[in-house]
Amino acid sequence: MPLLVADALEKTYTEGATAVAALRGVSLTLEAGDFVALTGPSGCGKSTLLHLCGAMDRPSAGRLAIEGRDVGRLDDDALTRLRRDRIGFVFQFFNLLPTLTIGDNIALPCLLAGNPAATAEARARTLADRVGIGHRLTHFPQQVSGGEAQRAAIARALVHEPALLIADEPTGNLDSANGATVLALLADLNRDLGVTVLLATHAADVAAAARRTVRMRDGRLDAA
Amino acid sequence: MTARLFRTFILRHLAREPVRTATTVAGIALGIGVVIAIQLTNASSVRGFETALDTVSGKASIEITGTGGIDETRLASLGWLREFGVVSPVIEGEMAIVTGGEAGIRPRRTEAVKVLGVDILRDRTVRDYDVTSFVKAGADDGTRLSDGAAPSLSSQAFLELLTSPDSIVITEKLARRRGYVLGSRLELLAGDRVKTYVVRALLADQGPARVMDGSFVLMDIAAAQLAFDRLGRIDRLDVPVEHAGSALDPSRAPTSAELTAAEASIAARLPAGLSATTPSRRGRQVEKMLAAFHLNLSALSWVALVVGLFLVYNTATVSVLARRDEVGMLRALGVTRRHVLGLFLAEAALLGGVGTALGLGLGRVLADLAVGVTGSTVSTLYIATAAAPPDLTAAHVVLAFAIGVPLSIVAALVPAREASLVPPTAAMRGSDRLATRRRMRPRAFVAPALVLVVALWLATLGPIDGRPLFAYAAAFFTIIGVSLLVPAIIFLTARLLAAPLRRGLGVVGILAHAHFTAAIPRLAISVAALSVALAMMVAIAVMVGSFRDTVVYWVGQTLQADLFVGPGVRPTPGSRQTLSPDIVEILQAHPGVAAVDTFRNLDLVYQGNLVVLGAGQFKAPRDGAAAMARASGTDAVVVSEAFANKYAVAPGAVIRLDTPAGETPFTVAAVYYDYAVDRGIVVMDRPVFAKYYGDLPPTSAAVYLKADADPERVRADILASMDEGHRAFIYTNRALRTEVLRIFDSTFAITYALELIAIAVAMLGVAGTLLTLVLERRRELTMLRLIGALKVQVERVIVVEAALIGTASMAIGLVTGLALSLLLVYVINVQSFGWTIQFRVPAAFLAQVSAAVIAATAIAGLYPARRASRLAVERHEE
Repeated sequence: MPLLVADALEKTYTEGATAVAALRGVSLTLEAGDFVALTGPSGCGKSTLLHLCGAMDRPSAGRLAIEGRDVGRLDDDALTRLRRDRIGFVFQFFNLLPTLTIGDNIALPCLLAGNPAATAEARARTLADRVGIGHRLTHFPQQVSGGEAQRAAIARALVHEPALLIADEPTGNLDSANGATVLALLADLNRDLGVTVLLATHAADVAAAARRTVRMRDGRLDAA
Repeated sequence: MTARLFRTFILRHLAREPVRTATTVAGIALGIGVVIAIQLTNASSVRGFETALDTVSGKASIEITGTGGIDETRLASLGWLREFGVVSPVIEGEMAIVTGGEAGIRPRRTEAVKVLGVDILRDRTVRDYDVTSFVKAGADDGTRLSDGAAPSLSSQAFLELLTSPDSIVITEKLARRRGYVLGSRLELLAGDRVKTYVVRALLADQGPARVMDGSFVLMDIAAAQLAFDRLGRIDRLDVPVEHAGSALDPSRAPTSAELTAAEASIAARLPAGLSATTPSRRGRQVEKMLAAFHLNLSALSWVALVVGLFLVYNTATVSVLARRDEVGMLRALGVTRRHVLGLFLAEAALLGGVGTALGLGLGRVLADLAVGVTGSTVSTLYIATAAAPPDLTAAHVVLAFAIGVPLSIVAALVPAREASLVPPTAAMRGSDRLATRRRMRPRAFVAPALVLVVALWLATLGPIDGRPLFAYAAAFFTIIGVSLLVPAIIFLTARLLAAPLRRGLGVVGILAHAHFTAAIPRLAISVAALSVALAMMVAIAVMVGSFRDTVVYWVGQTLQADLFVGPGVRPTPGSRQTLSPDIVEILQAHPGVAAVDTFRNLDLVYQGNLVVLGAGQFKAPRDGAAAMARASGTDAVVVSEAFANKYAVAPGAVIRLDTPAGETPFTVAAVYYDYAVDRGIVVMDRPVFAKYYGDLPPTSAAVYLKADADPERVRADILASMDEGHRAFIYTNRALRTEVLRIFDSTFAITYALELIAIAVAMLGVAGTLLTLVLERRRELTMLRLIGALKVQVERVIVVEAALIGTASMAIGLVTGLALSLLLVYVINVQSFGWTIQFRVPAAFLAQVSAAVIAATAIAGLYPARRASRLAVERHEE
């Protein structure tokens, strides 16, 4: 069974009287272990598609199934549980909570899922070591470099062993050296842990790190 | 353009956030409402008395008074007063209309009336009476002598009928209210004596008839002397000055200078023991007597307002934060900083204006409630007044707006400035972070330390004119100092609670703690507001609790007699409601009675202030004080602690008191504790009192029973042996103690009500601040939701954070409150009332309140929590 199946997805946002169609019939399949880059110009709908694939939102029409579960039929709590248990997120702005230590930030998804603190901390430590920031666990996000913060965000995204990692411009806010490190790390994790990665980016060199690239334009997939 | 921007940018936003707008307006309205209500209430007790004075005093006049009244035998030597005009002798007092039929002593079915006894022939030149109808002498059936035609006061028939001892004139208003007609019989209670009177005439609603809403009875002076047991004495002589000598033109009212001159020339010729005064001076004496009581209430009312202003600050902050992007956009489009500042200040002015307008209406309603509560306090402890709050005047409206609008603008200054500093680029980026802080700088402690030192110094200064103004300033500085310390205190609280929260509440605890710590700069204001309100409450709880304990102890020590007997008209301190000899005889005759002490109270003017002069038997059976025994029979007095503190006298000092024989020196033999009369009491031995002031009838009696007598039974016996014509209160020792505490508790009811309002307003502030924080942290909160926090988890985080705010505020409130209570007990109370209070901390009560406050703040967090959990997850990058 594929990890994610999108079939003729549509998403329309209404702002007052005007309706904006962000997705106009997108079909996409992600197999377990895939590393897919989603590219396209601003406003092409890749963020919207990412939101739907990350179970943050429900489609206006069409069907989206993640591990066989129909996202359109889940209520808010069920969507939250799906994200909490099966999906990890990495964004351009690191989105670590500034008031928690790196260690607590990484452990957070585990803690929210109700795992015992000791388990969550142990997993956080393991992943922090894996991404190379094991020495930063007691620091606060403002006290570490951008590259380290993004690696911490990746560790947080993986701490609960998700099936799918959603990454939205993960290198967009990093210099090229740090960007390359982060991309290499994502590729390693995809290979070593078998986690499926769906990555959205403008940059061609970033897309090149993926095994498959999907282009979008005006709310549709470009025929590749 | 400005008006348009204001409409689209400010008004639309306020309309879109009805809950927050309404909360802010309600906060200001409550604050202003409480201030206005207390102003009205305070005015009502003084004004009630002053109107009574003005209306009863009639035309501008000079009053000749003497302590304990004027002996009629002295009137002959005052014939020269006629040079100044008509001299009208007056008896003034209160009676109660008895409507309950039974011979019991229940006071419930009585209505107080002001009684004026005058020589009608002379007095009509002093006061305006408009008799609308009267009956013919002897025609008790109500036949009218004059129907339709205006009756003439000088009519011989009228004079004849009025001088009959059972004749009274009542107002048309009273007649209408109670259904009396000419010829109706009224039972009136004066002291402990009930007597039946016949309504012989009705007065139109003018002149003295307007007093106490028409509850006014006019009678002949001889009848009044009889009724009040003041035979051979009059209360005062009224000399209207428009007839004051040849120098004045009788066709116009005298100027105040002429009045003063006339008063001085009269005073110069008065014999010792008599003095000349004016009604307005009497009014000022009463005002002064109530000043401390009123100042305390006013100080409390301002707390509610201050707390209300924190709400304006909150709302302004929220409205700036929620519209950062829009402000950035406006700035990018070329709107100037000053313009942005103006827009947000205008918003505050609008909220302040609407809140103030509503507050005025609310104040009027609250005043009615408050007068009901304080009115009974004032009349129990100070003077009998007709308690109805005065109408709102233009001055109140101006005051309210002068306070409400500018202060609202001041409260919004900081956030409005923040808005004006939003860079034009904010519209594009939209990423703003709260300043986070994890360390306290030692420098932050310098300013609060200095302020607190000033507070300490202020607390050591004495009162100004009997008002503890420096002490209030000390309280104010304490509050400011603590408010400045709030960030440090929250920081410490957060650090102390970090581990327990993590252990006890898991991830919710971790997140709540993190948010709480991060938001310290924002939280400081609302924590300070809530802390101030709570500190006041704690301080007052400690003060009242200590005071109550002290009073309980004092009552236990002082109330030694088994029965306490007073006249049926409830006496206020210094009132001259008397017990008749018949009652005292009944008391003495009972076989169970061992001894009867009688007491007499008088109003005495001492150094321009009203104090109470009392006479009792120094050789009471259980009276142990050696000093009092030695002072017995000599020209010595004992004074209450309040008197000793106010006038700085100690045992051995000599004080000069007004007596009918002129100023006389008395040695202070001892100072005793008393918590009933804050204006001070001077007590002298009964024979000494009689020597100077005459053998005046007693105002109360204390009865000591034989060892085997049952107080309840003796009380019942005595009540049963009183005839129809007498009514007296008889309290057993236990009942009186209960009554004392009941009065005590009712006195402080208003205090607690004011505090509850302040706390309620502060709670609104907490909700507002949390809402601010939720908006400010919407990115973090959506991120939390994104990585798997359920709605309910987010809600819990906010509610726990709210409870943390409550805990920090309560902790600060407790410490500050205890400090303030020391100030209240040892400085403010001593300076305004002159009482020694034993300091006690009502620990159980404070524990309950703390738990309740923390629970209440958690509840205040519910709405912001819902808002937080409803932030849309997919908008995480906005």
